[in-house]
Amino acid sequence: MHEERQSPRRVVITGLGVVTSIGIGVTEFLAGLRAGRSGVKPITSFDTTGFAHANGAEIDEFDPADWLERADAAELGRASQFSAAAARMAVADAGLSLDEVRGRRALVSVGTTDAESRDLDNLIGVQVEHGPERLDPVIARRSTAGRLSSSIVRELGLTDVEAVTIPTACAAGNYAIGYGFDAIRDGDVDVSLCGGADAVCRKTFTGFYRLGTIAPEVCQPFERDRKGILTGEGAGILVMESLDSALARGARIYAEVLGYGLNCDANHPVAPDRDSLARCIELAHRNAGVKPEDIDFISAHGTGTKANDVTESGAIRQVFDAPPPTISIKGMLGHTMGAASALASAACALAIKEGFIPPTINHTETDPECGVDCVPNVAREADLDVVQNNALAFAGNNAVLILGRYRDAG
Amino acid sequence: MTATTPVDRTGRLVFSAWSAVSPYGIGGDAFAAGVVAGRDATTELDQETYPGPYPRAGLVPEFTAAGALGRKGTRTMDRVTAIAVSAVGQVIESCGPELLAEPDRVGLVLGTGSGSVQSIMDFTKDSLTGVKPYHVDPALFPNTVMNRAAGQSAIWHGIKGPNTTIAGGALTGLLALSYATRLYRGGHCDRALLGAAEEYSVQRAWLEWHGRTGDGAAPALGEGGAVFLLEPSADARSAGRTPLATVLATRFRAFGDPADARQAVADCVRAALTQAGASAADVRLVAPAGGEFEAAEDGGVTDALDGGTPEFVRCGQLFGDTSAAGASFQLAAVLAKGGGGIALVTGVDRDGTVGCAVLELAG
Repeated sequence: MHEERQSPRRVVITGLGVVTSIGIGVTEFLAGLRAGRSGVKPITSFDTTGFAHANGAEIDEFDPADWLERADAAELGRASQFSAAAARMAVADAGLSLDEVRGRRALVSVGTTDAESRDLDNLIGVQVEHGPERLDPVIARRSTAGRLSSSIVRELGLTDVEAVTIPTACAAGNYAIGYGFDAIRDGDVDVSLCGGADAVCRKTFTGFYRLGTIAPEVCQPFERDRKGILTGEGAGILVMESLDSALARGARIYAEVLGYGLNCDANHPVAPDRDSLARCIELAHRNAGVKPEDIDFISAHGTGTKANDVTESGAIRQVFDAPPPTISIKGMLGHTMGAASALASAACALAIKEGFIPPTINHTETDPECGVDCVPNVAREADLDVVQNNALAFAGNNAVLILGRYRDAG
Repeated sequence: MTATTPVDRTGRLVFSAWSAVSPYGIGGDAFAAGVVAGRDATTELDQETYPGPYPRAGLVPEFTAAGALGRKGTRTMDRVTAIAVSAVGQVIESCGPELLAEPDRVGLVLGTGSGSVQSIMDFTKDSLTGVKPYHVDPALFPNTVMNRAAGQSAIWHGIKGPNTTIAGGALTGLLALSYATRLYRGGHCDRALLGAAEEYSVQRAWLEWHGRTGDGAAPALGEGGAVFLLEPSADARSAGRTPLATVLATRFRAFGDPADARQAVADCVRAALTQAGASAADVRLVAPAGGEFEAAEDGGVTDALDGGTPEFVRCGQLFGDTSAAGASFQLAAVLAKGGGGIALVTGVDRDGTVGCAVLELAG
C-alpha cells in the first residue's frame, strides 16, 4: 500500500504521545503548558542522602499497566516503558488503528541520553552489595539502549519496520525526529514514530551535581540569578506521515515539519560554542526554506545554566536582528535529557495548533546578558506560523528543528 | 559550501575506504588477512585483569588509549572511545587531507551498545561507595554519556558535520549505514564516516553473561570497531579513491514471536534484493550475524536465496561476539573478501528485529 514514491514529500505531524511530569497524554500536557505547571519536587527514585539538595522532575503517577497492552512491563526498563507508552498514545492520538499502522512501512527512532542507565545504576548497586554473580538476568537483558525503540515495535506489533535508538545525548530527540522526517520525505516509509525518552537516574544527577550545575530548588532559564538545571524524565513520541497520507485519511494535522539542521562544534566535550550553534540555526533555516524574520518563537534548549543560556542567546542574537520570543519549557519539566527536544517539539506542535506560546516559569528578572523575551511565567496567546526548536548536547552536538503551521497551498 | 545548483542526491553511494581496529590488530589489512585466513583471534583472558565468567575473548591486542593515540588527551579516555577515535583516524589517514577539506560537510555516524557500561557503572559505583555521594571525578562524567565515542572522534579529528550515535543491538552497523545514507540524501552531508565500536570490559562481560539465553556456555565476546567512508562514486573517483562496493539497499523488519524470526529474515532479504534490483541467484557472499538466532537467520537467508549456494563468512566465530560492532565487522568482512558480485550482510537481534544490507562488490 505504498504511495507513489514522489519525493520530496511534505511531512506533517498527526499524532502526539507524551509522558511528562506535568501530565501524561496530550490533554494534560497541553493544560500544563498553558498553565505553566511545574513538575519539580524532591527526587524519590534513588537515595539522595548526602546531597545538599536533590529536586527533580520525576513522574509519580505513571503505571505502565495503564498504557501497555502487549509488551510485558517487567521486561522493559523505565525509559522503554515511557517510550512504548508514548508511542501507544501517539498512534491513538493520530487516529490510526493498530491494523493501519501495522500495514504501513514504518520507521521508529527514539533519542536518548541515558537509555536504561536507571537499570545500570540499580545493577551496580546490587553488584556492590552482593557481587556481580547476583545480577538479575531480566534487568541485564533489558538494559541496552536499543530497547527504547524495539519496545515500541513490540508494543505495537509492527513487522515492516526499521527501529533505531539514537543516543545523541540531550539533542537526541531532534535527531530522531529529523530522521523520521527524512525517511518520509524521501518516500522510504509511510509512517514515522519518533521522539525521545529518558528516566531520572543517580548517575546523571550525580554528574551534573558534581559539575555544580544542579539548581538547589528550581530551574530558571534566562533568569539573571539562574542556578542550573534540574534533571527530569519522560518521553515524547510524534507520529509523522506525508501530507498526502494525512489528507487522504482526513487526519488532524498539528504542524508541518519544514526541515532541520545538524552540526557538531567538534571543540569541547561539555561547553557549548556560540558560533557553531549559530551556524546550525542558519543551516536549519536554509533547509526549511525560512528566514530569521519568519520565526514566531524559539523553543530554546534553555537549560538554566549560566553557560548554556548566555551562549544560546548569543547565538540567537547572532542570527536574528530582532530575536523573537525565546522560551524554555525546562522550568516546568526539568531537563528531560534525550526526551527534552522531543517534548519541546510536541510543545511547539501544540503551540502552533492551539495558538499560544508556552511560558518560561520561575522567572523574576531576565539576565541582560541573555536579553531575550522569554514569555515570563504566563503563556501568551499568539498566531504562529513558524517555530524553531533548539537542542544542544555534550560533545557539541547541535540539532535545530523548524515546524510550521500547515496551510493548504491552494 | 553553498551549492548553487541542487545536487542530485538520489544516486547510489559507495564505500570507498574503510578500516578496523579488531582482535586481529590495528588496520584494515590486519583484519582482512585474519578474516580471509579464517584465523581464530580469541585468546585466553588474563583473569587478574579480566575476572569474570568468560575464559576467552577477542581483544584488540595490546590496545590502550595512550598507546594508540599518544598520552596527550587520553588520560580520561575510555576504551570504547579510544577504539572509535583510532578507527576513524585510520580511515582519515588513509584518505588524506582532502577528506576533511570541508569539515562541516562530513557526517560521522557511530554505533554503540550502551556507550561504555564500564564507565557508566563505575561512575555510579563511586557515588554509592564514596564518603559523599558526589565524590566522583567530573572529568569522567562525559564517558558516561552514550554519544561520547562519536563526539570525541569529531573533536579529535575536527569533523563538524552531523554527529550521530546509533544503537540497535546486533543490527547497529546496518542501522548506521541506513542512517548515513539518509543523511546524505537529505542533504545534511556530502560524505559520511560510519561504523561502530564496542569494548571488552569486565562489566560488559557480566551483563552479557546474565543477559544470555539458555544455560549453556556463552560464546566468547569480542571487541573493536570498523569505520567506512560512504560517498557518491564520482566524488570517490575525483579524489582518487577506488569504489570498493556499491550500497544497493538496506532493509529491516521485526518479529514478535521467535518462531517467526526465520520468516522475518526471509521477507527482509527478499525485500532488500527487490529494492537492490538484484536476484537471489546473484548473491555470492553472505555474512550473517550468527549467535543466538543463527538457525533462524541461516534458514531465512536460505529460503530467500531460493537454492542459491553463496559462500558464508562467519566473523563472530573468529573473534567473538562484538555486540554493537558486529554488523560493522560483517560489512568489513565482505569488503575484505571482495572479488565482485553481490554480498548480503544480515542480522537478527534478540529484541525481535532483523535487518540486512545488499552490496555490489567491485570486481
